[in-house]
Amino acid sequence: PYQERPWEYLESEEYRATYGDKPVWHGYRRNHKGSVPPQSARKACLRRGRRVGNPCPICRDRNLLVDFRNIKLLDQFICPHSGVIFHPIHTGICMKQHRRLAQAIAQAQDHGLLWLHVPFVPVPEEDFSNQHAAVGKTPPAPALKGPGRAWYPWYEWQQPPASEVARMRRLYQGFLKENYPDTPPS
Amino acid sequence: MAALGARGSAALPARLRALWALPARRALAADAGEGKAAQPKPAFTDEAVQTLLYKMTGLDLHKVFRPVKKGLKPPHYKLMTEAQLEEATRKAIEEAKTKLIMPPVLNEREPIDDVLAEDKVLEGTETAKYVFTDLSYSIPHRERFIVVREPNGVLRKATWEERDRMIQIFFPKEGRRVIPPTLFKDENLGTVFQQDRHEDVLNMCIAQFEPDSPDYIRVHHRAYEDIEKHAKYDLLRSTRHFGGMVWYLLSRKKTDGLLIDMINRDLLEDATSLITLYHMLHPECQSAKEAKEGKLQGIDLIKVFVKTESQREGYIQLALQAYEEAMATSSAS
Repeated sequence: PYQERPWEYLESEEYRATYGDKPVWHGYRRNHKGSVPPQSARKACLRRGRRVGNPCPICRDRNLLVDFRNIKLLDQFICPHSGVIFHPIHTGICMKQHRRLAQAIAQAQDHGLLWLHVPFVPVPEEDFSNQHAAVGKTPPAPALKGPGRAWYPWYEWQQPPASEVARMRRLYQGFLKENYPDTPPS
Repeated sequence: MAALGARGSAALPARLRALWALPARRALAADAGEGKAAQPKPAFTDEAVQTLLYKMTGLDLHKVFRPVKKGLKPPHYKLMTEAQLEEATRKAIEEAKTKLIMPPVLNEREPIDDVLAEDKVLEGTETAKYVFTDLSYSIPHRERFIVVREPNGVLRKATWEERDRMIQIFFPKEGRRVIPPTLFKDENLGTVFQQDRHEDVLNMCIAQFEPDSPDYIRVHHRAYEDIEKHAKYDLLRSTRHFGGMVWYLLSRKKTDGLLIDMINRDLLEDATSLITLYHMLHPECQSAKEAKEGKLQGIDLIKVFVKTESQREGYIQLALQAYEEAMATSSAS
């Protein structure tokens, strides 16, 4: 139902009844053997279309969609003091959702919807007059000025030296057409 | 920076003036060449202009060094005597002055479209453009040669956008991305301005773009317009962008809102320096002439300005009355 406007769910009665004022991942506990929990998060909650037991806080609620536009959800996974994304072990979400969440947070910061730490960049001290040849105007080469000029002289037909013409004529004596002109027909 | 600290009171670093003075000097020479009797138009980099802008910016240490969201550390306490405290505040003021150096205000750069060679022999041999960048380490980026060979054999100089991209790929600078963030498009700027984060946007803009690129100028003008529309002048008050904003408003004669804001906050010296800057920029207006004849100071200058040049006379008169009443009650009590 909230496919196109995921942010509306976070302001609805349903959400408030389920979560109250707490973040989405509050109270979620992983099931594991032994006293020490595993130090890496689960890979995915939906393996080959099947739901794994005890899914993560985002996968267990069908209406919670990770989108760069519902910043209220994204804000719940960012530390309010340091601006850093929480580790998936701390929040309990699976790695697939964590990757999608990190992408969405980067997109939201890119669009300006989320706060982003801007480092102080001092003012560049350089000569802004653009006088150097690399960035200023250079006069075009003489070959480019007129429309009739060619870049290399051999782009246009050049009269070959008389000795070459005589040599060619002597080579192909028997095959030359009568009255063949020296210059090609233009 | 140590030399800057040793100077003490002077606001404008000489080395920056020497670097920026090049376009200003050329403009001055051009005006003198025209043979005008009046003085040439003051530029952003003139010393008088810079001192006035610096005075107007103010120096609120609590705002300049406000806490920023970073990695958490336990708090750090120091026990200091009075002398040590004064020394620490002096050092803080010098650091704040380096942080308040104003970014340059330049005209838009002219696009590069020079063709160096045309080799029709190469037409059809390649399917993609080749970009050749000079990667020598010691040349400044503005003097680097970057040329593009198109598939039709034309060898041309790279455009400014291509230049910026290539230089960022080979010589990455901190805070700058190869493709600028979507934040700087017009649609997204509105959302950021609603969150009152003009200063962050302008800092990101300085990090991302060159000062004479059209994107830089467009973002800055959008930010100044938004501030002026909603009268949020206080957001930029102790930052390095205040000077640029004042310059923009002065050249477009939209100083009324700023004047009202200053009078409401009882900053009369700032108001008088604003009006002196106005007279320097537009010497042919009536209030400038009257001020020069009468050599007015303080409130009289503001009153003359309000009568002749402003659009929102009523508001400014009200603000002035409120200020005078407040002064009268405080001096009486």
